[in-house]
Amino acid sequence: MNSHDLLLVHIGTVIEEDSLTLGQLCRACGVHADWIISLVEEGIIEPQGEDIRLWRFSGASLVRARIALRIQRDLGVNLAGIALVLDLIEELEGLRAHMKTLGHA
Amino acid sequence: MQYKDYYKIMGLSRDANKDEIKRAYRKLARKYHPDVSKEKDAEAKFKELGEAYEVLKDPEKRAAYDQLGAHWKAGQDFRPPPNWNEGFEFKGGGFTGGDAGAFSDFFEQLFGRAGFSAAERGQYGFHARGQDSHAKIYIDLEDSFRGATRNISLSTPELTAQGQVQVKHRSLNIKIPKGIKAGQHIRLAGQGSPGTGSGQSGDLFLEIAFNNHPLYRVLETDVYLDLPVAPWEAVLGAKVKVPTPEGIVDLKIPANSRQGSKLRLTGRGLPARVPGDFYVVLQIVLPPADTEKAKAIYQKMQQELDFNPRQALGVYHQ
Repeated sequence: MNSHDLLLVHIGTVIEEDSLTLGQLCRACGVHADWIISLVEEGIIEPQGEDIRLWRFSGASLVRARIALRIQRDLGVNLAGIALVLDLIEELEGLRAHMKTLGHA
Repeated sequence: MQYKDYYKIMGLSRDANKDEIKRAYRKLARKYHPDVSKEKDAEAKFKELGEAYEVLKDPEKRAAYDQLGAHWKAGQDFRPPPNWNEGFEFKGGGFTGGDAGAFSDFFEQLFGRAGFSAAERGQYGFHARGQDSHAKIYIDLEDSFRGATRNISLSTPELTAQGQVQVKHRSLNIKIPKGIKAGQHIRLAGQGSPGTGSGQSGDLFLEIAFNNHPLYRVLETDVYLDLPVAPWEAVLGAKVKVPTPEGIVDLKIPANSRQGSKLRLTGRGLPARVPGDFYVVLQIVLPPADTEKAKAIYQKMQQELDFNPRQALGVYHQ
C-alpha cells in the first residue's frame, strides 16, 4: 500500500429502499435473472415497480436473496421452504429485537 | 498439521453407507447453518462439516481417506505417508462447495486444491466482469450520528494465476454517511473482485451493523436508553439531565411515572432520511437501606402508607 491509498477515502452509495435494479441484484448475488424472478414469483422478495424493467429492490431484498442462495445451496431447500425459513428467521429477529428494547439482551 | 476425523465430525461409523452420509449431512447442516443456527461457533462447525462431507460423499476421496487407517485420533499431529494417494485421481472430482478458502490444511495436504483451476473462472469468456463482494462491518452508533471515516480490513480468498487460493488482506478507508442504520448497505463501485481480461471489477457491498453500545440500544432508527430514576423522581416528577448521542439534554419526568414508562424525544433518534426517535425508559432504583437513617425512613413509610403491591393478586397484608 502506498501513501496515496492511505489517504484515499472511498465514498460509496447507500442502498435505500428502491436502489437496486434486477441486473444489479443478480450481479450482487452472482446468479441469473431467472433465479431472482423465481424468488419474486414465490413472494420471497418484493420489488417496487409493476413492470420487470422498472423493478427496484431494497437492501433488505439483497440480504434475503443471499440467505436464500446459501440455504438452497447448503441445505437443498426448495423455494417454498426458503420462504418459510426466511419468514421464521425474520420473526425470530423481530422477537430478539423486542427483547433488546426490554433490556433482556 | 492435525488429523481430522471426518467420521467423528459427522457422527458416523466408518462403514456408513451413502444414504446415511447424506442424511447425517443434511441433519447437521440444518443444525449448524450460520443463517439459521443458534449454536455457538456455528460457522466453524459448518465449515468443518462441509469439509467432512466433501470427502465422505465422494467415493474416491473417501477411499483415499480410509486408506490412512482408523488408528488416527482427531487432533493428532499428522503427516501423510509417502505415496499414500498413489493411484487416486482427484482432479476434476470437483468440489461442489463454493467457498474455496474454507477447507483446512489437513484437507489441502491430502487432496490438494484441485477443482479450482483459474480457467474455470473464464467460463463467461475472457473479458468477464469481476464478482461482487460482500462484507459486514461494525460501526459505532456515534458514527451514524455524526458521519465518519472508518478504516476497514477485508480478507478475500483470491485465485492466483496458478489456480491456488490465496487469502488477500487489504484495508480501505470508507466514508460512513450520516444517518445510516443497521442492515443498510453501502455500495462501493469497482471495489469487488477484479475482472478477467479487460472486464470491469465487481462492486463491494458493505452491510452495516452496530457495535453494542454501553448505554443505548437501537431498533431501526429509534434509539433507547434505560434511565435510572429515584422513586421520588418518578412519583413527584423531576427535571433530570439525560445523555443522548448528540449531547446531554434536560428531560422532564412527569409526576406519577411508572417503572418502564417510555418518554419520547421526537426526531432525536438516528438522523436518517426520516429521523428516528429517542426513547427514555424509566428504571426505578430503590435507595439502599444501609444506614439507620435510611432504615428509619423505610420504616416510616411502612407504618404510614397504606400500600399493598399485591392488591391485583387478591392477597392482603400479613
